[in-house]
Amino acid sequence: MIRPTRARALQILRVVQTRRGIAGIPPRLPELPHGNLPASQSPITSSLDFFNSVTPGGKQIPTYRVLDGAGQPIEGAQVPEIEEALARKIYENMVQLPILDDVLYNLQRQGRIVFYVRASSASYGEEAAIIGSAAAFAHDDEVLAQYRESGVLLFRGFGLDNIMNQCFGTHLDSSGKGKQMPVHYGSKELHYHTISSPLGTQIPQAAGVGYALKRDPQRRGKNCAVVYFGEGAASEGDFHAGMLLASTIPSPTVFIARNNGFAISTPSSEQYYGDGIAARGPGYGIHTIRVDGNDVLAVYAAVKEARRRCIDEGRAVLVETMTYRVGHHSTSDDSFAYRARKEVEDRKRLDNPIVRFRLFLEARGWWSKEEEMALGKRLKTEVFAAYKKAEALPKPAVGEMFTEVYGGQEPWHLKEQREELQRLVHKYGRTWEPWRTQLKRHEGEGREWTEGVR
Amino acid sequence: MFAPRRPAAASLRAISRVNSASRSRRWNSTEAPPAGGHLPSVANSSFLKPTRDVALRTNGLQWVDPVDADPTRDMVGRETRKMNMYQAVRDALSIALSKDDTAVVFGEDVAFGGVFRCTMGLAEEFGRERVFNTPLTEQGIAGFGIGLASMGHTAIAEIQFADYIFPAFDQIVNEAAKFRYRSNGNFNVGKLTLRCPSMAVGHGGHYHSQSPEGFFMGAAGIKVVIPRSPIQAKGLLLSAIRDPNPVIFMEPKILYRSSVEQVPLDDYEIPLSKAEVLARGSDLTVLTWGTPVYHCEAAIQMLKQPPPAIAEHVPAAFRGATVELIDLRTILPWDVDTVVESVQRTGRLVVVHEAGRTGGVGAEIGAEIQKKCFLKLNAPVRLVTGWDTPVGMQFEKFYMPDPIRIMDAMVETLAY
Repeated sequence: MIRPTRARALQILRVVQTRRGIAGIPPRLPELPHGNLPASQSPITSSLDFFNSVTPGGKQIPTYRVLDGAGQPIEGAQVPEIEEALARKIYENMVQLPILDDVLYNLQRQGRIVFYVRASSASYGEEAAIIGSAAAFAHDDEVLAQYRESGVLLFRGFGLDNIMNQCFGTHLDSSGKGKQMPVHYGSKELHYHTISSPLGTQIPQAAGVGYALKRDPQRRGKNCAVVYFGEGAASEGDFHAGMLLASTIPSPTVFIARNNGFAISTPSSEQYYGDGIAARGPGYGIHTIRVDGNDVLAVYAAVKEARRRCIDEGRAVLVETMTYRVGHHSTSDDSFAYRARKEVEDRKRLDNPIVRFRLFLEARGWWSKEEEMALGKRLKTEVFAAYKKAEALPKPAVGEMFTEVYGGQEPWHLKEQREELQRLVHKYGRTWEPWRTQLKRHEGEGREWTEGVR
Repeated sequence: MFAPRRPAAASLRAISRVNSASRSRRWNSTEAPPAGGHLPSVANSSFLKPTRDVALRTNGLQWVDPVDADPTRDMVGRETRKMNMYQAVRDALSIALSKDDTAVVFGEDVAFGGVFRCTMGLAEEFGRERVFNTPLTEQGIAGFGIGLASMGHTAIAEIQFADYIFPAFDQIVNEAAKFRYRSNGNFNVGKLTLRCPSMAVGHGGHYHSQSPEGFFMGAAGIKVVIPRSPIQAKGLLLSAIRDPNPVIFMEPKILYRSSVEQVPLDDYEIPLSKAEVLARGSDLTVLTWGTPVYHCEAAIQMLKQPPPAIAEHVPAAFRGATVELIDLRTILPWDVDTVVESVQRTGRLVVVHEAGRTGGVGAEIGAEIQKKCFLKLNAPVRLVTGWDTPVGMQFEKFYMPDPIRIMDAMVETLAY
């Protein structure tokens, strides 16, 4: 055993203080009977004792809840302050998601769009976690999402046309001009960073975004970065990096882990052996809370407080929302291959976040059966109209394929390759059937390449 | 830097040795170079600028702040100082930080000056908010930099060795490179620069010697830049930092101390995607970048005047051959025009790089040149590269494209 002398320990602490200026927890003098080791404040003990966060006997991190299944506050719960207008907006957005999901899901099944993943929908389980958190953030907090969080965008006013244009990849696609798969939305104006498929990559990026906000005099103390990810993505190395960076280089970043029990077919029992994602937060020195993700008021209250702490302290905060992915992972997945249909049906019946919140609204006199009927009808009409409009629109002009690879001057090799494709389309675009058919779907039908002299 | 990479015992040891690298992956940069320098040919290179006047006339150098409206007078009053490459890098970082409030410099151990001293004094000068250590996570460093840059901030990240850039490969290739394209320009990370020491150092073994530029050549959306000298490092780094695209800037670590020249003190840039012709010739083109520039210089000298011991291998007819030497400088997107123009004239091309051959940058260039110069080629395009093995610690002398291998390839190409 190495036991540093007191003088040595003091010397070490001084060094630690000068070297860790940013992290900045001033070291305390060791006052423990056996002192401590230089790299930690851990007291030295003589008892041989292992510990584990997964302890038997209900010592797991508790789940914060406000409303029960009947929309009533549970014993001891304080209902967060919420105005009627905001409550109704939350509810309408929650109701909209499953309607939108159903339409897009069916469009995919009919082969009219190539791919879809449920955007957290009513009978499918995550809309409370998404909309509840969206309502708790400022509209200009920077959001870095995984792909199941389009509810945040809709809440911020993205609009159904932008959703549809992205999914159909039309020339009006504001997210990426037809360059990415469906559901990879993004909006600079709405502070929603464009989605990418690689899992977890947005997590360390969010730490950098948080740090940028902290360095910006206009936004310091006003905004935070928000990063959403599933419990499966939290197994990626980037999760570790992101949590570590945002805590060590203090950055106002709220981490929201959506724990819905599944990563495609993998149940969370095969994803981790510890107490969920929340148990990891304290290991990084991050304030952490676990929330019932089917209780929109609990999510709203917890995230609002998380945001306040995050901005006040300029540090990371972790929120784990517990939900259940009732729908299939994506349109490429049949989840009944790895779980019982009955389990899913039970879950839908017993713990529906939309019903819970509707009962709360009705109890306050903020919602009625008539309004419910009218809302459903209106939303269906709007979604239907938006997809009809997008479906009729052409894809972007073929030449768009070569744009925005680099900023500034186009490199020679891209110019050459664009011209090569141009020549080939000019040569075969009217005769090679796969191209002929496809060109008709694009803006201008490729005429800028098929016609004209080469 | 006190976070122990190995638990307790290592951390205790680290305390008493602030500047010494206790971790296996950290090459000890503070030790003096071996007698005669790491690379003797650099010391005598004619490509390094020994005086102020020569330095100020550096080819393609563009002043960022004109001192006079009359461009012919623009060199009046400009100062230079003798610097090695790490000092020139430091100088560039200092200019970037002082002219751009959003600029930050970060990475492993950069706050105390960096294991290669490239960030010396910057934390003291600009504060720990702008020059700071990160935890030891390369994917995190790249991701963090992408996040900063996506907000329009200038992020200058350091990966301690190019050998350790691979944990960040996903962030670089899937994220940084595609950021602009996938959002159709709504978001971009153009203000991200990743610096990393690269290439061999004489005793680096597998993980302190690599030249991974070839792995990034297929990553449409990023740029890859490699300087050969202090003046080049400063000008190219400032261009890289200000380029509207994410750039990987690979600094040949053996040149940090061994290459020394007069470097202009003012803010200047050297354009990206522009190769530089270092020596004019009409019989053979030699194309390279980074450290091998100096090996090529030595090889060209050997071809002209072979030492007696090897003279028998150099036919007298070739000793008068003139060789055109080109420093590519930017690997992606590379300067095809300069290379093609040269090979059209000489009809022969030798490409030299330290990285292994298969799938390397030389293969890409060779394919393009045979396509564009087919009728003018008098010999096959020849590659002088590292072998397709990892860099074996005790075998480096036989692994590297050293002057004898380059000279032999030149002779064979001329004799074809």
